[in-house]
Amino acid sequence: MKFLLYTLLALVVVPLQTTLLHYVSILGVRPDLGLVAACLVGFLGGELDGLILGLILGCFQDMLSAGDLWINVVTKGGAGFLAGLAGRHMAHITPAVLTVGLVIISCLSSGVFLYAMNPASIDEIWMGVRSTVLVQAGFDAAIGAGLYLVFRRRWSDDRMVTEGAL
Amino acid sequence: MAISRSTYGTRRLAIVLFALLLAALFLLPSQSQGLLQYVGGPLGQILSLPLAAFSSLDHGISETWDGYLALQGVREENRQLRRDIEWLKGQNNQLRDSVTATQRYETLLNFKQQSSSRTVAAQVIGRDATNWYRGVILNKGESDGVRPEMGVVTPAGVVGRIVKTNSTSSVVLLVTDPNNAIAGLVQRTRDEGIVEGTSHGRARLKYIPLLSRVQPGDRVVTSGLTGAFPRGLAIGGLTQVEKSEGDLFQSAEIQPEVDLSKLDEVLVITAPYEDADAAQKLLQEIHGDRKKP
Repeated sequence: MKFLLYTLLALVVVPLQTTLLHYVSILGVRPDLGLVAACLVGFLGGELDGLILGLILGCFQDMLSAGDLWINVVTKGGAGFLAGLAGRHMAHITPAVLTVGLVIISCLSSGVFLYAMNPASIDEIWMGVRSTVLVQAGFDAAIGAGLYLVFRRRWSDDRMVTEGAL
Repeated sequence: MAISRSTYGTRRLAIVLFALLLAALFLLPSQSQGLLQYVGGPLGQILSLPLAAFSSLDHGISETWDGYLALQGVREENRQLRRDIEWLKGQNNQLRDSVTATQRYETLLNFKQQSSSRTVAAQVIGRDATNWYRGVILNKGESDGVRPEMGVVTPAGVVGRIVKTNSTSSVVLLVTDPNNAIAGLVQRTRDEGIVEGTSHGRARLKYIPLLSRVQPGDRVVTSGLTGAFPRGLAIGGLTQVEKSEGDLFQSAEIQPEVDLSKLDEVLVITAPYEDADAAQKLLQEIHGDRKKP
């Protein structure tokens, strides 16, 4: 059931990412909604949920990206898993913590992309960091924190119910 | 009895006066008209006061009717007219869009008819899913005969090449992506090189011979040496030529001919040359060029 739900979520997020998101780009950089979704689910639902959603999202994104077929699967799956691990060790998730976590995970994910691009010089790496990595990290964190603030009450309740049930 | 007699006398007097008036009117018409006008002047002035009052009342009622009681209809009519205007504006926008689209399709069709290549028209339906590749997604895939490594063009010039396909869509790596490489040729000097994308969103012609006299403004076209593109399709114009000491080759920055941020419809080159005759003709043309001094 959860798998189906995550697949449906991915079927909404990935087309949104490829078709409409360029309207909200800053300096030509768009937020990575797949990464944000995987991280949020990982933070709040645990590492397995984050990993599964990340893998599904990555698989769909790889189909609609010019890059190699493994790169999104690895980065999104890894991001969901990392977020799950981080979330497990936190007593309270606040928007500030989520923002910092998303910045770190987004930077790590972009680092993998940067590595895969095989930059020819340090200048190119630095340029990639300045023009894309940092902007996207900020964007991802802002959107993640915004979504968390909007749905905080519901997610907090779910988390308490889940913890209570455990 | 006295009262009755008096009334009788008055009646007789009135009849006599009326008869005299009628006689005067018939016997002395002009004089009687003048008299009437003389008497009518002050009467008209007296009458004008209540007339004006009633008239203003009438106007007031009329205005009230038109402005308030009849306003319901006007308001409804106004609403309907506004709706009509909005609808017409929408129609107008749609028609403008249709005209623009028709012009684009017409250009695309003309290009397709003139081109020696076999092509498939496709629409751009999205952008690359990540920020790391400059790519677009097309609505045509393997079921339409689109395969990886096929070239993608517009009437203006080269767009990129297909790197991924599935049954219904495909991903194009744009000519400005650093991972892309297309064989190019400077139209004026006939120097060949490789066109690669840069991290700044432009393209660069690399491996230009050192002795070449390329200069900014020269146009770069496809050389036809790679399978994806036929010869002579526009790639862009040179904006800056770089020649460093110790380098074996020159390189030059290219401003792509196609505005890659505004792609709507493109053509995928499924076969660079329509038939063997065209290919043979081209080969002869190439050999002919080489024989020339």
